Amino acid sequence: MKKLNLFKLAVCNLQRKVIRTILLLLVAALVSGTLLSATVFIFGMQNALKIGTYRLGADVLVVPAKNEEQARTALLAGKPTSFYMERAVLERIRKVEGVRVASPQIFIEPSSFTCCYNVDVFLVAFDPASDFTVMPWLEKSSRVTISGDEVIAGRAMPLMTGATIPFFGTPFKVVGTMEPTGMKFFDQSIFMTTDAAYRMAENSASRSMQPIKLDKDKISAVLVKTDGTISPERVALRIMHDLDDVKAIASDEVVNTVRKQLSGLLTGIVAVSGVLWTMCLFMIGFAFYMIVNERQRELGMLRAMGAKRGQVFSLIILEAVLITLAGGLLGLGLGFGLLFALEDVIRTGLQLPYLLPSPMVVQELVVGSLLFSVLTGLVSALLPALLASRLEPYEAIRTGE
Amino acid sequence: MIEAINLSKTYQAGGQILAAADRVNVNVARGEMVAVVGHSGSGKTTLLSLLGGLTRPDSGQVLIDGVDIWSLADSALSELRNRKLGFIYQFASLIPTLSVLDNVCLPSTFGPGLDNLIGTAKELLAQVGLADKANFYPAQLSGGQQRRVAIARAFISAPAVILADEPTGDLDEETEREIINLFRRVNEEQATTFVIVTHNREIAAQTHRQLVMKDGVLDAAI
Ligand SMILES: Nc1ncnc2c1ncn2[C@@H]1O[C@H](COP(=O)(O)OP(=O)(O)OP(=O)(O)O)[C@@H](O)[C@H]1O
Ligand SMILES: [Mg+2]
Repeated sequence: MKKLNLFKLAVCNLQRKVIRTILLLLVAALVSGTLLSATVFIFGMQNALKIGTYRLGADVLVVPAKNEEQARTALLAGKPTSFYMERAVLERIRKVEGVRVASPQIFIEPSSFTCCYNVDVFLVAFDPASDFTVMPWLEKSSRVTISGDEVIAGRAMPLMTGATIPFFGTPFKVVGTMEPTGMKFFDQSIFMTTDAAYRMAENSASRSMQPIKLDKDKISAVLVKTDGTISPERVALRIMHDLDDVKAIASDEVVNTVRKQLSGLLTGIVAVSGVLWTMCLFMIGFAFYMIVNERQRELGMLRAMGAKRGQVFSLIILEAVLITLAGGLLGLGLGFGLLFALEDVIRTGLQLPYLLPSPMVVQELVVGSLLFSVLTGLVSALLPALLASRLEPYEAIRTGE
Repeated sequence: MIEAINLSKTYQAGGQILAAADRVNVNVARGEMVAVVGHSGSGKTTLLSLLGGLTRPDSGQVLIDGVDIWSLADSALSELRNRKLGFIYQFASLIPTLSVLDNVCLPSTFGPGLDNLIGTAKELLAQVGLADKANFYPAQLSGGQQRRVAIARAFISAPAVILADEPTGDLDEETEREIINLFRRVNEEQATTFVIVTHNREIAAQTHRQLVMKDGVLDAAI
């Protein structure tokens, strides 16, 4: 038999009214689950915002008009994709007023066959001659030029300089790695030159089981740096005025769309979560106020047996914390379950990148959420526990029924 | 052992001021067994609570082993209650969610912890005739049996003073006699001091001294 102690006493007390305990536990679970999902959600959205500020170092991004959504998802969520437009677009953009540099990029979605890694890999081909967005991210120790069948690996790629990796039948040598950018699109990309990309495509017919077709006159996007005389928005408008069938996205526009969609949502979530938590505090607090009331006589007798004020206080707090902690655990399961189940719904429903946190962050969230549950129990039962510890023993014994 | 000096406690109820204890003076020596008798509402329970430090007097002092208990901090007073005092209540007083054995052991949860706690508890249960009920729960016992468990609980930390409020209230004569015999045995063997509130003349007659409470005033019985 387990020796009697405050903990056992608290557990026994909770078993007294099982239904009430379960209800309180469910309330705690619901609230902690909601708060957890809200946190993860906000966290993911803020990530999205951060990526929303993604400029690629470019002021304007030009993509095929029909692929605008695809381009946004690719850039914001780092979801591999590919789309093409005529290379001729590039020269015409260079002529638009306000454009200082225009550099082409090709996005290639590798087939699962070609890469052996369990991550979304995005192949990006860039033009070293005009590039102003890729090379600046290169790690300092890496080589500064890239040629032939050489690639640069994004930070999230499990590749080291010197490694060889095949794409569509062509082996590439990793000659450099990128600094971490916090942008999935960058961190999970492999960068090669446009020349290498065309060659790879050409050779894929004979070398790969899943060849790709990539015409030499096709590119995916043009990154534009403005000369600073007019705003990126105006340059973007001019580009769209001068060229048909392209969408020019000014960097601020990307940010603003995301911001607009998010800020309302986030405020709402924070407000609802706050109200929910406060209600939970009051609910558990009130329940414990009643518990203390109905157990007055017993509490008085415990004091008569020699329980100190602190011990009575601890007993009540312990009961509340046990409930909220158990609720917190349940909520953790519910919250994460919900998040994983709804990831796709949220991603597509909101037309937004929605990034689940990394395992490290999940760990922190678990610990944080449980600590928060303890705090909830502590705060909510604080007043009832104080009340219980301040009862005069005889008064409590006399009046308690 | 336990001494009251000019102890007063008044209550206000229904606009009236009621002296539940009115300048009570009493000195109970170590090993003494005292009975307090008196009409219902005369202030007997109030007196026991005052003596045990469960309620603060309006005026006067309670000395236990010469120490003014209300000069102590809460934790010291709690420790004193835990080690030196055992209460037996007028009403059912067991914790319903704890087994009989745990109920008896309960006071030690708040104290320094006793050697062979379970052994002592079982022995006490045997002495009140409930050796076979250790693993029962209060709801599975009769009122009298519950009362006997509460008596065993009061003895668990071998207190110097037992304050008993009608300890045999709902016991049959036979059991009543057993309990009184137990009290007397403990009193003789361990020099435990007893203050017993009772309506029962027979029990009162078996104590060393009888006191009468009347409207809050305590007097020696004539
Ligand atoms: N907290 C209180 N508030 C108001 N009046 C009280 C309070 N406690 C006790 N009294 C009154 O003090 C008087 C003494 O009460 P007490 O319980 O000490 O009587 P008693 O002698 O134990 O009676 P009984 O034999 O019925 O148990 C009673 O009139 C009671 O109504
Ligand atoms: Mg009474």
